[in-house]
Amino acid sequence: MNGPGEFICRVSAQVSLASDSYLLKLEAPTLAWTTSPGQFAMLQCGEGLDPFLRRPLSIHQVERKRGVVYFLYQVRGQGTRWLAKRSKGDMIPLLGPLGRGFTVNPAGGKGLLVGAGMGVAPLLLLASELANQQWEVVTLMGAQTASGILRPDAFMDYGEVRTATDDGSSGMKGTILDLLNKELDDSSYDMIFACGPLPVLKGVQSISIDQGIPAELSLEERMACGVGACLGCTCGGADGEYLRVCQEGPVFKAGEVDIDG
Amino acid sequence: MADLSVNLAGIKMKNPVMSASGTFGSGSEYASLFDISKMGALVTKGLTLRPRAGNKPPRICETPAGLLNAVGLQNPGVEAFISDVLPEMLGFGVPVIANIAGSTTDEFVEMARQLSGTGIVGLEINISCPNVKTGGMALGTVPEVAAQVVEAVVKETDLPVIVKLTPNVTNIVELARAVAGAGADALSLINTLVGMVIDVEQRKPVLGNVVGGLSGPAIRPVGVWAVWQVAQAVDIPIVGMGGICTGQDALEFILAGASAVAVGSAFFNNPMAAVRIITELDEYCTKHGVDKLQDLVGAAWKE
Ligand SMILES: Cc1cc2nc3c(=O)[nH]c(=O)nc-3n(C[C@H](O)[C@H](O)[C@H](O)COP(=O)(O)OP(=O)(O)OC[C@H]3O[C@@H](n4cnc5c(N)ncnc54)[C@H](O)[C@@H]3O)c2cc1C
Ligand SMILES: Cc1cc2nc3c(=O)[nH]c(=O)nc-3n(C[C@H](O)[C@H](O)[C@H](O)COP(=O)(O)O)c2cc1C
Ligand code: FES
Repeated sequence: MNGPGEFICRVSAQVSLASDSYLLKLEAPTLAWTTSPGQFAMLQCGEGLDPFLRRPLSIHQVERKRGVVYFLYQVRGQGTRWLAKRSKGDMIPLLGPLGRGFTVNPAGGKGLLVGAGMGVAPLLLLASELANQQWEVVTLMGAQTASGILRPDAFMDYGEVRTATDDGSSGMKGTILDLLNKELDDSSYDMIFACGPLPVLKGVQSISIDQGIPAELSLEERMACGVGACLGCTCGGADGEYLRVCQEGPVFKAGEVDIDG
Repeated sequence: MADLSVNLAGIKMKNPVMSASGTFGSGSEYASLFDISKMGALVTKGLTLRPRAGNKPPRICETPAGLLNAVGLQNPGVEAFISDVLPEMLGFGVPVIANIAGSTTDEFVEMARQLSGTGIVGLEINISCPNVKTGGMALGTVPEVAAQVVEAVVKETDLPVIVKLTPNVTNIVELARAVAGAGADALSLINTLVGMVIDVEQRKPVLGNVVGGLSGPAIRPVGVWAVWQVAQAVDIPIVGMGGICTGQDALEFILAGASAVAVGSAFFNNPMAAVRIITELDEYCTKHGVDKLQDLVGAAWKE
């Protein structure tokens, strides 16, 4: 990989999903070919200088031959609200691909994907790459209610999907960590890949350590440059020094980071 | 092509556009995006004598037309910088200036000593960092103290000494006069303005360090005013900075009296900002029949 590029991308479609979330489809051929699962892009979410910083969003899915990249995101504030108003033909500047993604071992294996809420965003491209490398994939998705379970059908293309919701409206009634514990009681896995809020990642981290199953965790932190230059996005490393989430991450091995969730 | 070149206290640059300390890494982070050799000069992250871990996260917070940062001078220390980072920076074929942030006068002198003969072409004395408890801004708010640091460094080194000042003072002109009198070869202004943001849901400060430094377009008028006043009070060249995003922004600083400009936060909004600024400076000169950009330095107040 030769480093990120700056691209001004045309919106080819945007669909509104449940729970204030959106699926954005952009024409970005170079990005589609150069990105790997777990990487992200910094999208300019406004005209000119307001908001001033770009917003980090994970690469959700790519269609290489068509030259398109998908982002799955939730409206949270000013930037994502602006993004949600874009429609076919609008142009969005972005910088990418950025960061260190998930490891896809070409030797294959059995992989368990754990996506809590919007944490499923980077996992779809991962599921497809794992399936390409002959991995067996099972995806666990968690949310408060059924409407927060995003794109389960897309994940079913690559393997089984199991869900957990707080109110039991989809799948098991309970948390994603309950579902994870149950899944690990029932079957064995070579690797866990997780993305979601810090308490979930902390839970996955301790399960990974206790059960000796390697895990990779995708973290979030506030970012300015996205390329490793400003030292603004650091998280605590296991050996006490700070790691840049945009450069050494956003995907870390479970033993590499100190999560205070 | 107009002549954009500048000789900043002996540092020869093909154009006046530098990177602002702490915002541009080693330059290699941006090397896949544009040709770094197009820049006038590169300035390093603030260096300290010993490695520094930096402040606890979150370290940045967006604000209207800018951001607060409280990185806290995370850096590998001057020795590791010289062996591990500097070669990469020198590889771009652009003058490299080291930003040094001692917590005592002795530390500044020691770093100046270690950096001479390494390929560095100038030192930027950072007595204006708001994010550290000792040294930093504390050394840069009292004219006598600032002058003492500068005098000691100037005595130690043959390199041009640029002093970076904080705007968090009652009278920046008085400080500028003091460090110019102590032998500074040039000045950089401005460093960030101190500020904070509170998360009303958590009812807690957003930054791990509570307080941080404000940068970006929000502070640009403060920077232009600082340059305007100081340029008329001292006769050493000035590097102007604070929210520069376009050629027009850079020209404001130049017309106020800056010989060179530095681009910082703008990279976060547009990673190609420096290229844009250089192109727009050239276009402005062509459009207005200016042969030499340096002829415009201070033109807003010169007769
Ligand atoms: C590597 C990475 C990948 C991400 N991928 C996705 C994704 O695929 N889908 C998705 O919905 N969200 C994702 N996020 C979170 C997303 O960046 C934030 O929700 C978004 O920046 C909010 O912007 P806003 O202007 O709408 O909200 P505001 O609250 O107005 O944002 C204000 C500031 O806070 C920052 N910020 C707020 N929340 C977060 C957060 N959780 N993480 C980092 N910065 C934050 C913003 O970048 C901005 O600087 C990702 C974050 C990171 C770091
Ligand atoms: C993330 C960040 C880190 C910075 N680190 C340093 C530093 O190490 N040393 C220093 O002298 N100034 C540092 N600065 C200040 C800038 O060099 C510059 O003076 C200031 O940001 C104003 O310019 P701008 O608005 O163009 O960013 C930093 C600024 C930012 C935003
Ligand atoms: S966002 Fe600048 S170093 Fe990560």
